[in-house]
Amino acid sequence: MEKGYIPSKEDFTLLHRQDLYTDTNFASQSYWKSVAMHFFKNRRAVIGLVIILLIILFAAIGPSMNEFGYRDIVQYRNENNKRVVAKGIAPQIPALHKLFTGEELEGNFSQYTFLFGTDDLGRDLWTRTWYGARVSLLIAFVTIIIDMIIGMSYGLVSGYFGGLTDNVMQRFVEIANSVPRLVIVSVLAIFMPKGMGLVIVALLLTEWIGMSKIARAEMLKIKEQEYVLASRTLGAGHGHIIFRQILPNTIGPIITQVMFSIPTAIFTEAFLSFVGVGIALPQCSVGTLIEDGFNNITTLPYQILPPIIVLALLMLGFNFIGDGLREALAPKLEDM
Amino acid sequence: MKKFVALLLTAALLLSVVSFASAEGNVLGVMLGTNVMSLDTNLATDGDSFEVIADCIDGLMQMDKDGAAVPAIAESYDLSEDGLTYTFHLRDAKWSNGAAVTANDFVFAWRRIAKEAGEYAYMLDEIGNIKGAAEIISGKTDDLTTLAVSAPDEKTLVVELTVPVSFFPSLMYFPTFYPINEEFYNSLADGTYGTSPETFLSNGAFILESYTPGTANLTVKKNPDYWDADRVKLDGITYQVVGSSDNALTAFRNKTLDVVMISGNQVDAAKKDASLAENLKVTGAGYMWYLSFSQTEKNAQGGMLANANLRLAISNAIDRDNLVDNYVMDGSLATYTAVPPQFAASSTTGEDFSADQGAFADYVGYNPEKAAEYFEAAKAELGKDSFSFTMIYGNNEGDEVQKVAQAIKEDVEAALPGVEINLQSMTKAERLDKMQNDNYDIALTRWGPDYADPMTYLGMWITNNSNNYGFWSNAEYDQLIADCTTGAYITDYDARWAAMFKAEEIVMKEAVIAPLYTKANANLITAGVEGIDFHPVALNRVYKDTTK
Amino acid sequence: MIKYTLKRVGMAVLTLLIITFLLFVLVRIMPGNPFPSERMSAEQIANKRAEMGLDDPILTQFFRYLGNALHGDFGKGTSLYYGAPISTVLSTAISNSFRIGGLAVLWGSLVGLVLGITAALHRGKFLDGFCTVVSILGVCVPSYVFLIFLQYTFAFKIPFFPYFFDSSRFLFSSVIPALSLSLFTTSTIARFTRNEMVEVFDSDYVRLAEAKGMYGRGLVMKHVLRNALIPIVTVLAPLIVDLLTGALVVEKIYGINGIGKLMVDAIAGEGIDYNYVLALGILYSALYIGIMLLVDLLYGVLDPRIRVSSGKKEA
Repeated sequence: MEKGYIPSKEDFTLLHRQDLYTDTNFASQSYWKSVAMHFFKNRRAVIGLVIILLIILFAAIGPSMNEFGYRDIVQYRNENNKRVVAKGIAPQIPALHKLFTGEELEGNFSQYTFLFGTDDLGRDLWTRTWYGARVSLLIAFVTIIIDMIIGMSYGLVSGYFGGLTDNVMQRFVEIANSVPRLVIVSVLAIFMPKGMGLVIVALLLTEWIGMSKIARAEMLKIKEQEYVLASRTLGAGHGHIIFRQILPNTIGPIITQVMFSIPTAIFTEAFLSFVGVGIALPQCSVGTLIEDGFNNITTLPYQILPPIIVLALLMLGFNFIGDGLREALAPKLEDM
Repeated sequence: MKKFVALLLTAALLLSVVSFASAEGNVLGVMLGTNVMSLDTNLATDGDSFEVIADCIDGLMQMDKDGAAVPAIAESYDLSEDGLTYTFHLRDAKWSNGAAVTANDFVFAWRRIAKEAGEYAYMLDEIGNIKGAAEIISGKTDDLTTLAVSAPDEKTLVVELTVPVSFFPSLMYFPTFYPINEEFYNSLADGTYGTSPETFLSNGAFILESYTPGTANLTVKKNPDYWDADRVKLDGITYQVVGSSDNALTAFRNKTLDVVMISGNQVDAAKKDASLAENLKVTGAGYMWYLSFSQTEKNAQGGMLANANLRLAISNAIDRDNLVDNYVMDGSLATYTAVPPQFAASSTTGEDFSADQGAFADYVGYNPEKAAEYFEAAKAELGKDSFSFTMIYGNNEGDEVQKVAQAIKEDVEAALPGVEINLQSMTKAERLDKMQNDNYDIALTRWGPDYADPMTYLGMWITNNSNNYGFWSNAEYDQLIADCTTGAYITDYDARWAAMFKAEEIVMKEAVIAPLYTKANANLITAGVEGIDFHPVALNRVYKDTTK
Repeated sequence: MIKYTLKRVGMAVLTLLIITFLLFVLVRIMPGNPFPSERMSAEQIANKRAEMGLDDPILTQFFRYLGNALHGDFGKGTSLYYGAPISTVLSTAISNSFRIGGLAVLWGSLVGLVLGITAALHRGKFLDGFCTVVSILGVCVPSYVFLIFLQYTFAFKIPFFPYFFDSSRFLFSSVIPALSLSLFTTSTIARFTRNEMVEVFDSDYVRLAEAKGMYGRGLVMKHVLRNALIPIVTVLAPLIVDLLTGALVVEKIYGINGIGKLMVDAIAGEGIDYNYVLALGILYSALYIGIMLLVDLLYGVLDPRIRVSSGKKEA
């Protein structure tokens, strides 16, 4: 009986994963390159990016664009040796005034240009608005990071594993959310110095909760879909399924949620600063400027406008970028 | 559908018409700065609560329009020759449930104050010096009959004091000394007294009409059975808590309220508005804002502020005129004395104790050169060139406080190179807590007079007084104050007055505190509303003679 | 489902207990004190503390508090409306805040949905852009600024609505505060609805439905909205809790006796009022936990494939 051929080890070569199913045509451009390409092709996304970059630019150089420092009170002594303070001055540009009316601007401080006017203490609001934008930009980026890292992971994991894991994690959320922020922050302030650090810790404690709820809801919805089941059957790891397969499909609501948690965080910072655990006067942020402006909202309405406009522009920019990112990250067929 | 909408709109319009009727007629619409915390004389601690209580309850005495004590429930009183026993003779007056107001109502109320030992119990022992009060308040005895207040008959009240108190009758208009009907009080469930119109009795000009704890609006109406009912012209008062100065201004423009208080920028706006300028009326609010310096070792970089020259340097670096003219703006007075002006006048000369604000110009005032001199001396004495202090202030004590804090920081840092002032905002409660536990460097704080005598301020700086937050101590000063309150000068009015002035000079010379300004209120009052009595002490507003 | 609900309610009670204990301890650590006073002697304050049992071991205090709370006795305020029992003060505040907040929830979610759907249906056109701007302004302008705007315009310049809150004409005087409170909710819901619907529109099954000849209102309601509702419900839930528990500045400006102001006054007012902080904390937590439970149950109704109750293994 003739013996058949016995396969030996040398007859086989190992194929590597990357050799399989590779669409060489598509692979020629990397994933991130394509995201970037889609993003920059989107007109609104680019406008958003420009707005944010401009705000960052002004926050960086705005406070030094005129002769006033953020805490300088514009004042002089009159003939009776009384101090005259440039407080509550509406926006004024002497040069433009002269150009249009042909007359010199009147008033005690007519020689100065106050693009945004002055505040109740006689400080230039242009300088203070951009100085304050620094703090609020920092808060905005911290919030994005907290949302994207803690909130998203927490929600995805909780929703994915379900059962006891979900139960414990959600009860923890309920506890974390239920202690009033003012109480927890006051207690924290005993152990650490007041200031931006404390504000960020306060945000770290609860700011991710909203995001985790959204991520969890999306996970609950998506994890029952066929492709997840298929991956699981094929033996994909939990991490792979959660972060590589499901995450890209939840990106829409997650980006929307990030957008909405930014102003909340900015106002939280203002509140914490007001009660004395955040930044100390005479420093300011967009949030505290809005609160200050509110004191004179009907008598000097222009005081509240610059910070609100800066905040709105910031949000508009982030929204455009968010929309652009969403479309770029999960491109639909017709967009390609 | 169209018909329905039209109907809805008409209904809404009608409803809105009703709303504007509320402050019309002979009812006065008045702004309150904060919620009324309690209508119980034992628990109330704030001026707004006191005002509403005083609308409804008369004490033995009342304030006339100049703030002097004139008879109310007491028709008259006798003082024994040694000045220790007051005998009050009560008039016929009725509670709003028909019961007569008797001497026992006072005995009951005062005993209750002593027993509960609340915030204002100190009016009985430390200020009023009523015999037996201190023992009950400190908890040494439970026997309330040891309080030397008695009612020999229904219309006679006898009060015995441990030392003569020259201003005792003027204490009697303070709500702490108001009566409560014992029988009515005992008929109520525990903790419900004064929490609704049904659980509150009135013997005064007005009756409580609507009130619940926490409410932002309450009303009182005229009491037809008031013993002096003819005097009261108003039909009632509607109180509304208003949350901000800006909103108060609009509420006044809207004619929702007849009497509002404004501050800061809104005062400027009202002055510039011709239609409002004539309605503006500045009244004294009494309390004085000052800087308290902690002088103990553990604070201010190892007790740096124990150095008098450093304190004097700071005090002389602050431009108080700038504070009141540019930041407080409601007519508050820049203050350079330890006892604020315009609340305590001598009863012999009639002269204000602090009329001369320049009396201590050598030690206090805005004088950067002098501040620099003091600072050089301090630096030499302390062997240190740079200092960093934290200044605490309350964030719920009015918008102007944070402006004032910032202006002080700028002034001090400009005049004293090397000094850094870090601002730290917190609630008033936390600020008090820090001061009482001596855990601060500099505090922006205030004190309101409880009675019209300089001692309400000077008494605070004696060694170990609980309000002596700086822990300053001076034997000469302690002796002077002791002589004025219990010792040599107690019966010699003018000598006492002179001694108090001497004591004040010591406080200023050592800059124990840096007085800043005496608060005023900028009121807007509807044209045609006359006869509201404003007082800086005890009862800020009284409406018994008010007409609209 | 019923078994699951019961289990969750049981756990909610446990969670609430943990929260109460945490709060109980934390308020006692906070700086400040329940009897802030410049006129009482240290002796007097010590007596008051002893009277309230604050010197007892913390566990003794806690169980005494629980015992009383179970009988509906939440104690009295120490620095807030001292005389009155907390339950009476709270009942008025709760009724005011819940009713105004309820109106705001209704208005905010309805307008938000309508705006969002409109924007999604007119994707990329003017209405879509308009909706975007409105929702961005809605989150950037704080509710109290909007309140002043409404009050100034519709109570002062055009005197139609009452200038201050008046509990005797509840609905009419709730319009201004409810509207201003609802602004954030309107914006959030509008944005989420729009984005979700756009995504669902693009999904395969809606394409399939369209291919099968379904279009217009039926498609929107039956498929698109229903599938978009899950994230909408998720963001709405905490907003409902926030709206029902009031907002400090809105209540302060419009003169509403509500929960938001009470809470801040209890923590950062004249003193720390332990009893008020606890009572309000328990109320807030109970609301939050309850609504989160409802949301989890609602997921199953909206999408029958979702079973929050089950773990991964039974899936």
